[in-house]
Amino acid sequence: MTLADARAIVPNLEVVEADEAADFHLLERIADWCGRFTPFVALDPPCALLLDITGVAHLFDGEAALLDQIRAELAQRGFAVRGAIAGTAAAARALARYQNGVVAPPQKEAELIARLPVEALFLDPATTHALRRAGLKTIGQVAERRRSELTARFGSQMVFMLDHALGRVELPITPRLPTPDYRAERQFAEPVITHEGILATLASLACSLAAVMEKQGLGARRLEAVFFRSDGAVRCIAIETAAPTRDAGIIARLFREKIDALADPLDPGFGFDTIRLSASRTERVEACPSDFAAEAEQQKELHFLIDRLAARFGSERVLLFQPNNTHIPEAAFVLVPAQSAKPTQDAWVAVRSWGEAPRRPLRIFANPESVDVMAETPEGPPRQFRWRHALHTVRRVEGPERIAMEWWRHETPQPTRDYFRIEDEQGCRFWLYREGIYGRETLAPRWFLQGLFA
Amino acid sequence: MNRYAEIAVTTNFSFLRGASHPHEFALAAQAHNLDAIGIADRNTLAGVVRAYEALREIKEDTGKAPKLLVGARLVFVDGTPEILAYPSDRTAYGRLCRLLSEGKLRAPKGECLLTLEDLLKWQEGLLLVLMPPHPGRTATEIGPPAKSWNQNLARKQGGSGVIPKEKFAKTLLASSQELEALLIKLKHAAPGRVWLGAFMPYRGDDRRRLKNWQRIAHAAGVPLIATNDVLYHTPERRELQDVLTCIREHLTLEAAGRLLEANAERYLKSPDEMARLFRDAPEAVAETIRFAERITFSLDQLQYHYPDEPVPKGKTADQHLADLTWAGAVERYPGGIPDSVRETLCKELALIKKMQIAHYFLTVYDLVCFAKSRGILCQGRGSAANSAVCFVLGITNVDPTEIDLLFERFVSEERREPPDIDVDFEHERREEVIQYIYQRYGPHRAALTAARICYRSRSAIREVGKVFGLSEDITARLASSVWGSRDDELKASEVRQGRFDPENLVIARAVRYANQIIGFPRHLSQHVGGLVLSNDRLDEIVPIGPATMKDRFFIEWDKDDIDALRMMKVDVLALGMLTCIRKAFALIEKHEHKRLNLAAVPREDPAVYAMLQKADAIGVFQVESRAQMNMLPRLKPKTFYDLVIEVAIVRPGPIQGDMVHPYLRRRSGQEAVTYESPAPEHGPPDELHAVLDKTLGVPLFQEQAMKLAIVAAKFTPAEANGLRRAMATFRNIGTIDRFRRKLIEGMVARGYRREFAERCYRQIEGFGSYGFPESHAAAFAHLVYVSAWIKCFHPAAFACALLNSQPMGFYAPAEIVRDARAHGVEVRPVDVNFSEWDNTLERGANGALALRLGFRQIGGFSQAWAAKLVGARGNGYADMEKLIHRAGLPKRALIILAEADSFGSLGIDRRTALWRLRRISEPQALPLFEAQHVEEQEPEELAPLPTMPPSEHVLVDYEMLRLSLRAHLMEFLRDLFAAEGVLSCAEIGTAPDGVHAAAAGIVLVRQMPGEAGVVFVTLSDETGMCNVVVWPKLVERFRREVMSARLMLVEGRVQRSPEGIVHLVAERITDRTVELERLSEDYGAALSGRVRAGQYVHCHPRNERVIPRSRDFH
Repeated sequence: MTLADARAIVPNLEVVEADEAADFHLLERIADWCGRFTPFVALDPPCALLLDITGVAHLFDGEAALLDQIRAELAQRGFAVRGAIAGTAAAARALARYQNGVVAPPQKEAELIARLPVEALFLDPATTHALRRAGLKTIGQVAERRRSELTARFGSQMVFMLDHALGRVELPITPRLPTPDYRAERQFAEPVITHEGILATLASLACSLAAVMEKQGLGARRLEAVFFRSDGAVRCIAIETAAPTRDAGIIARLFREKIDALADPLDPGFGFDTIRLSASRTERVEACPSDFAAEAEQQKELHFLIDRLAARFGSERVLLFQPNNTHIPEAAFVLVPAQSAKPTQDAWVAVRSWGEAPRRPLRIFANPESVDVMAETPEGPPRQFRWRHALHTVRRVEGPERIAMEWWRHETPQPTRDYFRIEDEQGCRFWLYREGIYGRETLAPRWFLQGLFA
Repeated sequence: MNRYAEIAVTTNFSFLRGASHPHEFALAAQAHNLDAIGIADRNTLAGVVRAYEALREIKEDTGKAPKLLVGARLVFVDGTPEILAYPSDRTAYGRLCRLLSEGKLRAPKGECLLTLEDLLKWQEGLLLVLMPPHPGRTATEIGPPAKSWNQNLARKQGGSGVIPKEKFAKTLLASSQELEALLIKLKHAAPGRVWLGAFMPYRGDDRRRLKNWQRIAHAAGVPLIATNDVLYHTPERRELQDVLTCIREHLTLEAAGRLLEANAERYLKSPDEMARLFRDAPEAVAETIRFAERITFSLDQLQYHYPDEPVPKGKTADQHLADLTWAGAVERYPGGIPDSVRETLCKELALIKKMQIAHYFLTVYDLVCFAKSRGILCQGRGSAANSAVCFVLGITNVDPTEIDLLFERFVSEERREPPDIDVDFEHERREEVIQYIYQRYGPHRAALTAARICYRSRSAIREVGKVFGLSEDITARLASSVWGSRDDELKASEVRQGRFDPENLVIARAVRYANQIIGFPRHLSQHVGGLVLSNDRLDEIVPIGPATMKDRFFIEWDKDDIDALRMMKVDVLALGMLTCIRKAFALIEKHEHKRLNLAAVPREDPAVYAMLQKADAIGVFQVESRAQMNMLPRLKPKTFYDLVIEVAIVRPGPIQGDMVHPYLRRRSGQEAVTYESPAPEHGPPDELHAVLDKTLGVPLFQEQAMKLAIVAAKFTPAEANGLRRAMATFRNIGTIDRFRRKLIEGMVARGYRREFAERCYRQIEGFGSYGFPESHAAAFAHLVYVSAWIKCFHPAAFACALLNSQPMGFYAPAEIVRDARAHGVEVRPVDVNFSEWDNTLERGANGALALRLGFRQIGGFSQAWAAKLVGARGNGYADMEKLIHRAGLPKRALIILAEADSFGSLGIDRRTALWRLRRISEPQALPLFEAQHVEEQEPEELAPLPTMPPSEHVLVDYEMLRLSLRAHLMEFLRDLFAAEGVLSCAEIGTAPDGVHAAAAGIVLVRQMPGEAGVVFVTLSDETGMCNVVVWPKLVERFRREVMSARLMLVEGRVQRSPEGIVHLVAERITDRTVELERLSEDYGAALSGRVRAGQYVHCHPRNERVIPRSRDFH
């Protein structure tokens, strides 16, 4: 069924895009969580986990109790769970789907499985369909056919799957590998007390961490140093970087900046017996050829500067101008925290062509100031204007540059602006605009001064 | 007084750029009192005829209108800035068309690739205005076509060469030096015909820029000309233009930024305004007037000549037509030409001669002759087709003596309209006719007309919604709340129906602009069968471009444009029923040795009418839909003309005009036949008698409505036609209102009842886009009669031909087969030993013809496989091994045959056959050894498989064939439903009026006609069909059930009309689809996911599947 059809049936259907990656991630997290029951957890995507509980059931009061506990705890966390325990992975998978909650006793297992529909074999759809068309609708009915008959039609793999489900062959599960931990720590027999000692330790930890990250092609965006004091107190210091980094020297320097700038300095007391450095947020580092000219190098240095300043003054205080794609002059630029600034597609408008005066003033007022102006109707330039009580006589003028407001941002129509570049008799240059097109939008346009040219 | 002519107008035919219709520009130009207006769309002339029409109307209304300058804005791929090209005279216009055609032929569909060289090649006589790029715009907008575009194909299509890659430039030549150099180059090529365009975009430095342009123009020695580079007719359209830009660039308004225009200045400005803007260069404004005066070309000069091929040398077209006519008349009336016919023929021939349209009739006759020579059935319809001339020429089969149709009523002199003949051909063989036309006239003289694809409410809201950042989800909901009328604006009520607040600002805006772009052209496509033929090169009359199919071309103008320019076209249309009738004739000839053709079917057979009166009409042309089948018993057709009415009455026009019931009452004698009349002082009381005589005083046909406007409201014929056109094109709201007032007030003023006048207006409104004239109805009625006759006397052949002509008609194969069986036709299953690709007829044991299902009924089986299987069959396959061996079919084909249970004659049932076939290995693809390569397998001793229960057989039948000869699915569930007190469809059919009852059945059809929101559902069970009506309120309550149930239980009240038409008016609906799972022991587990998934809600009834095809059986 297409979405359009579904919507015709249920008009207020809520639609969420499937996110397979997120589903898989969630499954992984549940797998992690299951680590408390057995170390052998295998993923069976898209929505199943296989747990090898050989030798662990007694820790949880037996198999049935273990199954109940897992199901109950997951249900409590809001998941709909089906589960079963059986001698082989295939049998458990089949039972979980079709006989929720069953713990198959070894001698009864084949019988239980035989009653399940052929779908429980999880064969490819064509094979399942063929079996159903042949009237072989349960696993038992299939199992009664001769092996040669089945092999001739569906291949030996299908017979193997059947035997696996019936518990006639074993197939060990492949538990998943733990994700690498970007963490380095050092314990000291003699607690470190000195500033230099601490920084030296961080530097060497940074080296080992950098080596791990390099292997994975990652760099850190956020790093945390945790200091365990011998009396039990723990202190955590974090730094962030503008670009993923795994340069041990940079990491060490950033920590030094940060530690030096702490308002509340690191107090080693009787010394730290453990120092741990971990990368809590990592990103893939775009491998760039090292001979990539000076620009990349410059960029790197700029990032380093930003990081150092941010480490010292706080990242919200190191700002960057970025262009904003709009005709509205006061909105044409934005200030963003430099560390979190994303490279933008937008380009700055060229406000000045070669040999000409700039089209935008160096200084733009956040709030344009109202001025009294003498000008010709309908759209003549100003002759004279009074700004902050001072009268200016216009000597040179160019304009109008007509800028209409972004109508989709406002509930009611906003007046259009006619901008003029003006030079008065003293040689001062101003940027004035008339608000409202005479005749079309208003009969009494108002005037504002929005900027000063240098 | 200032004078000005705007020469740089971009209309909305520059798709997603111009934000006003050509006619809006025309009106604005008139309002501003401009001297002239130049329409120059991007590499196209598609919009000029609309402007031409609008200005002509303005001139008719006010006596004066701005001059239209026809031109194009040439956009180049090689970095040359845009150039406005205006032909000064007719020959230069031809060159412009050639230039554009060339660019189009070498480009992918819908695009046009040009370089400066092309222009220099065709520049003679063209006035060229170089438009400097707008400040800040330096990138070219047309790049090289996508890689997938096949350049070799382009070369073959007759475009002159391909533009080499290196010619494509990314940046425009925009600097002063480059502009100057370009102007000089142009000036050398086209001395005295080059200008530099200037405009004042309010960028602050306008005056400096103008100075610079003055300098460049002076240096190059060309005049400067003022324009405003117009995109819309009033500044209020700026917002819409922003929206269009966003749609074009696939951006939201938020993200579009400086891609949008900075201000609203690109509107059509008045001469005073332009004079003020260009006060530093008044000569540039004055130049526009001189420019306009240089142009002598007007679209009036398009002397269009119809091809004169069909006329033999030494004869005039009129002579030839007259000769053919009289020869044909002798043939049609072997017993002597009746006097009345002779008189009519003379009158018609005189009129044809006067209007100089003999060529047109000859061309159509030529096509019809070709089709007849190939045995392709065809039939003409349309206004001019209903002439005695067309009848005796064999273009139509409606005898003018049988039905009194007045030719001059349709081809009227004063309307100055080209005649209109549409010819329907068999849908499977229309292609041959088109090929013939291309062969005969060559690609330069024959091309398809364009179909202008416009924004409709759904597409509009979807795209505009995106621009406002609404998610796909929301726009889809908004779009889906529009039912039916797709040209209408989205109303607040509909917005609410989609559960949105129409007051919400963003949604309100999206809806407002969506409504504004409804009717804006989106792209040009080819018309399905409208062909323009010309005696001269077509590409010197209008630019042509490549159509989807290789070696096909279509022009830039659509049928309205062609009408406006009085060009003639032939509609070569496809009609499924003609295919079906031809196939039925062939079957009858083969098995019953009777030769038939459209004209030879015995007329007015009472048995045929008796059958139709019982609404026994499944498969019959035009009258098989549910609405028509309900009408048949009420109308009780007895004569041919009744069929004409039957065809025309179940249409939006008469229904909206509330004409159906009055007509039926008068027909059944419940109401006296009276004629509305004007006040005595205004005219004779029976002035409508002549107009409405045949339809008992009730206007039913489009012509009657038009005639009514003429007689009762004193419209001129031209006005009446304008009224019809205004309705059809619809968007012209101002015009519609004017006509509305004129019609209603005109009638009321002459003493007609206001209520009657309003009804007439509503009806004309209803005719608007679905106009159904008597002339069409008569042509269709003939096919109704012929198909009914075949069904009545040759039911087996009829069913067989219907099945073999699929897809066509209204019903799915299961209904066609069931209907045939109900008429006593034996239907035999698909069988490897007896079937062919097509369904066939066999002699049954009792001597009657039986229908053998063919392989084409099996879903997924291919014609090539069928050919192999039948070819190797010889005297039949004795067993499965021989079949596998000899037919050499792939395993997949064999499995499909087994799934369809077609091994019956070998005594192997579906299940066994499948199990055995699964074992064979795919034959190796070495044709030489193909036969040997199917390896001999050890015989296998098999334990028996469980037998397949009958109900499961039926389910698989439906899955594979969409029908079952074994049983109806409902038979297996009858006990279950009977226990619940549910009646069968047959029982509902005999239940008394007003009783409460329940019925259950498989859903065959669900329809929601019009905006009312009523849903009609047709249920089917083993006893027949049951018509269910679901009122809108109930639809809302049981929406899910109504839309998605395959097996529906309906409780409600039986409603029985006096004519015996029975409906079940639903009060409660239950989705019982799950019951289907019972039909196969535990088939449910596999089926449930699919059955419950519901079916395609908007799908045509004949495509509905009761049981979905499984996608995974091979």
